[in-house]
Amino acid sequence: MSALTEQAVVSDTRQSETKAKLAELKYAIYLMRQNPLVLAGSVLVVFFVLLSLIATLVVSPDSASLLNFSRSYCWGSSTFSWTSLEAICPAGTNLPLGTDGFGRSVLDMIILAIPLDLAIAFVIVIIATAFGLAVGSVAGWVGGKFDEVVLRITDIFFAFPGLVLALVFAALFGRTIETLTIAVLLVWWPTYVRLARGQVLVEKEKTYVEALKSLGAHPSRIVLFHVIPNSIYPIIVQMSLDIGGVILTFSALMFLGFSPSPTLPELGNLASDGIGHVFTAPWLIVFPGLTILVIALAFNLVGDGLRDILDPRLRR
Amino acid sequence: MIFVLFGVSAIVFYLARGFPAAFAPWAQYITFRMKPSQIDAIIKAHGFDQPLYIQYWFWLQDVFHGDWGFSNWANGLPTYNVFASRFPFTVELTIAAVIFTVAIGVPLGILSALKNNTAADHASRIIALTGYSTPSYWFAYILQLVFFYYFYTWGLPNLPSGGVISQGLSGAVPAVTGLPILDGIIAGNLAYTADAFAHVILPAFNLSFISLGYLARIVRASMLEVLKQDYIIMARSKGLSERIVIYRHALRNALIPAMTLTGLFVAGLLGGAIITETVFSWPGVGNVSLRAVFQGDSNFILLYTLVTALIIVASNLIVDVMYVFLDPRIKY
Repeated sequence: MSALTEQAVVSDTRQSETKAKLAELKYAIYLMRQNPLVLAGSVLVVFFVLLSLIATLVVSPDSASLLNFSRSYCWGSSTFSWTSLEAICPAGTNLPLGTDGFGRSVLDMIILAIPLDLAIAFVIVIIATAFGLAVGSVAGWVGGKFDEVVLRITDIFFAFPGLVLALVFAALFGRTIETLTIAVLLVWWPTYVRLARGQVLVEKEKTYVEALKSLGAHPSRIVLFHVIPNSIYPIIVQMSLDIGGVILTFSALMFLGFSPSPTLPELGNLASDGIGHVFTAPWLIVFPGLTILVIALAFNLVGDGLRDILDPRLRR
Repeated sequence: MIFVLFGVSAIVFYLARGFPAAFAPWAQYITFRMKPSQIDAIIKAHGFDQPLYIQYWFWLQDVFHGDWGFSNWANGLPTYNVFASRFPFTVELTIAAVIFTVAIGVPLGILSALKNNTAADHASRIIALTGYSTPSYWFAYILQLVFFYYFYTWGLPNLPSGGVISQGLSGAVPAVTGLPILDGIIAGNLAYTADAFAHVILPAFNLSFISLGYLARIVRASMLEVLKQDYIIMARSKGLSERIVIYRHALRNALIPAMTLTGLFVAGLLGGAIITETVFSWPGVGNVSLRAVFQGDSNFILLYTLVTALIIVASNLIVDVMYVFLDPRIKY
């Protein structure tokens, strides 16, 4: 009798699985090409990621700290004033989006801000996912007391009114990018714990898990190499949907006055520059906010489309 | 449920009282006129000289006696009074925002389900996604810019940019319910009611713009689900008009998940929309909570988070109960 090792079974099923996955992928790409919105979203996402990679080449990072109050090109501007130390100019030939209160080009600052916002959003979502997968999958797999405790803790965090926890945390631990990142993480992690737990609970009941168990595979191996890869799609969808949400929340904290420095090029912080000038210099708030909107929309379009593509029930 | 409330209060208590950033935690309980001996007595009475978990116990006792402490920045008024005086404004804003959300979101969802995979469907999807990709603070200022400033400069009828009531009219009617619109109606003061109504439009629309997308998507999904059911085919084969099939048979069942979502919106909004209320200088609890955070007012933060957590937990419960009531197929 040939020794049925876990390896043999797995490599056998894996071959047919890879084939199925490949067909799935081809079909998914076909569907994506059918759906112009997802395509537009993906193009925008790629654009923003590329832009953030070359941002420091396009605009010198020093220009964020070069405060230019000379105001020489502000002559004739309706917002020009000698009294306040501000250098807000409307759009001109070499300033496509005008300047902010520090005399810096708004367009340059937006380009400099995009990598920071994207990086923070990715960091938050990835940490939240990793934590959620770790805690959620263990809770779902083990069940019992541990599951109950994890569930109750997430219950507590779900009962918090949105921003308040992040606000209190940010107010207490100082205004640095790190504290704000942790503050947003604090709001975001329970979703992933619940999601991962739910996925593991569904997968746990399937026959392949039973087969692996009867072969004597270690639970950690089953969860890490079989259950999690099989339940990763909804988590990926959630991640891409959450990037936008995280950018919105983080920039909102910045906008509400938790920015570490008024000159930091961050989209919410740039927009907050315009609070006192909404009616006199609207470009200060319009363009950074619009950038946030477009970035969040791009990720949401991709996430929304991915959900349709990866969820066979929604394919029509 | 009780457990959740204790958990929320313990976390906030630990954060707010354990790390007094700018003020000593008892600063909220004293006034300038107090003698050192009186201050010592207060520190003793609330357990501020004890470890944090014992302080929490003292705080719980205070709370169960109805003593939420004082808010120094609000002229030393009792925190509970500060909260109670602001809460009606949040209620009014919530009601208006939910009306907007349902009035726009549900038709949008129905439209996109009936015209599945057409231009109308795609448009509704874009509106929905744009809604929840929009930074609410930014959109609030855009609304102010367009409907207040530009309309004003173009000489069109414009909407006010903030506040609950115009300066000249404030205090014109007695505060019976605390909701300006309702007070205006009760007093029979038409000008006051109209003015209060004009003030609520922009902030309510700003709030609903973010949530109506979710609602539209949910209505669309459940409508598509329901339209595939056997009883819809039955209704059609009976020869009923499409209108009756959709509005009498399909819509009623399709709206059940939408009800759930609306319930959760109400809960979330009653917690005070911090950003919208701040931008529109709407004097609700969300606006005040931001000030309290900046002023280090742990008393208000504790009361505020506890009340909102209670609302969220209670509304989850109500939604579950409603679900059984609305959908007889569900039995517990």
